[in-house]
Amino acid sequence: MVALVIALALFFDFTNGFHDTANAMATPIATGAIKPKTAVALAAALNLVGAFLSTEVAKTVSGGIIREGSGGVQITPDIIFAGLMGAILWNMITWLKGLPSSSSHALFGGLIGAAIAGIGFHTVNLETLLQKVILPAVFAPVIAGLVAYVCTRIAYALTSRHDPETGSKLTQKRGGFRTGQIFTSSLVALAHGTNDAQKTMGIITLVLIAAGTQDPGSGPQLWVITACALAIAIGTYAGGWRIIRTMGAGLTEVKPAQGFAAESSTASAILASSHLGFALSTTQVASGSVIGSGMGRRGTTVRWGMVGRIALGWLFTLPAAGIVGALTALLVKTGVVGVVIAAVAGTAAVLYMFLVSRKSQVGHHNAVEVEEAGQAVRFAKKKALARARAAERARNNNPKGPQR
Amino acid sequence: MKWLELVTVAGATLIAAVTVVVLYSLGVRLTAIAGDRQVAAPVWVKYLSYICFGLCGVAVLFGLYLIIPYFSG
Repeated sequence: MVALVIALALFFDFTNGFHDTANAMATPIATGAIKPKTAVALAAALNLVGAFLSTEVAKTVSGGIIREGSGGVQITPDIIFAGLMGAILWNMITWLKGLPSSSSHALFGGLIGAAIAGIGFHTVNLETLLQKVILPAVFAPVIAGLVAYVCTRIAYALTSRHDPETGSKLTQKRGGFRTGQIFTSSLVALAHGTNDAQKTMGIITLVLIAAGTQDPGSGPQLWVITACALAIAIGTYAGGWRIIRTMGAGLTEVKPAQGFAAESSTASAILASSHLGFALSTTQVASGSVIGSGMGRRGTTVRWGMVGRIALGWLFTLPAAGIVGALTALLVKTGVVGVVIAAVAGTAAVLYMFLVSRKSQVGHHNAVEVEEAGQAVRFAKKKALARARAAERARNNNPKGPQR
Repeated sequence: MKWLELVTVAGATLIAAVTVVVLYSLGVRLTAIAGDRQVAAPVWVKYLSYICFGLCGVAVLFGLYLIIPYFSG
């Protein structure tokens, strides 16, 4: 059971990695600041480094949502197994749909569902749930969106230059923001590594302690840290191209200055939240930033239909992962046979979704069509600009592929 | 409810992001001015743009300092 949970936890880490590549790397890929493959490699390396940099044990994974310890319940490997199953399946489904959704929320949802089904409803601390999951989920995109909106406005206001006599536009060199994007997106990737790999380390350590192979109260062992860091890095390198497509091109078009503003907001929000004690989800912050920056740049439209789909996905994250977690917990309760059935069914579901994904491949080659219009603007050729705009409009009107 | 924390986080986010973006945008603008062909811009403009990028880099490094517990304890 312990080995199974560890394997599952590492797989969750992997899905977490490829689910969240988009947070850091979607906008630089969309503006052509970094080549897609280089971007995911960079993100993977930074996640790897980040996982090693911060080796504080993640505070108890459930973070008080499930009453544990004295007076509460003991989280068993069975519950964790069921919770992970729910989280992984939901991660796979949202990936298939190209929806950015929070991996931590999926994990919380899975654990909550598993605890309710496995032990009882009294295990869930509703107030903590509201405070740690639901409110941040509402405020994260709002804060990030507002900040990104302001930043985008500022970036464009500060760099817009007109000839005082003729009123025609002067060179603005906004391409310079591409270089900046490399740094801001790297910061986001690093912050992700320091946060998200920790969750899995926490889980594995919890299981090891529960199994009695590790002293209670001790930190994660080196092999656990290494395994988690590698799993998240490999996951990141695999690249969730579907989600990158959504974030980089599905929500709004992203231009370098705008992307820079969005990433700065994402990075600041994550850093501020993880240091001032109001944890916000990376995914939700990043999505909010992209939307906000899209609203901030004149001449851009935000595709609200896509925004609605993503919001709907967030709404379902907790209950959906919870239901899968609960079902798995019920199966596991029946004994060894149940565990085997759950494991086999889970593997089958993941394999099935992987096979479905093969039908419409989204890879580094076609995840985001880098906007050529940006080039046209730089050369300030009105005709080329108009042509590019027309092409863009045509492209927006005839969305290709099943993903948009 | 932790409303105070929420407001702090929102404020800190805004200040940090605006700082970085203002500095970088100024840098970009100054680079553009320095690169103008017709009007010969004074040399200091170019250096000022470097200073802006440099300060922006410092702001990012401070962010790094914050996320790496080894430094910030």
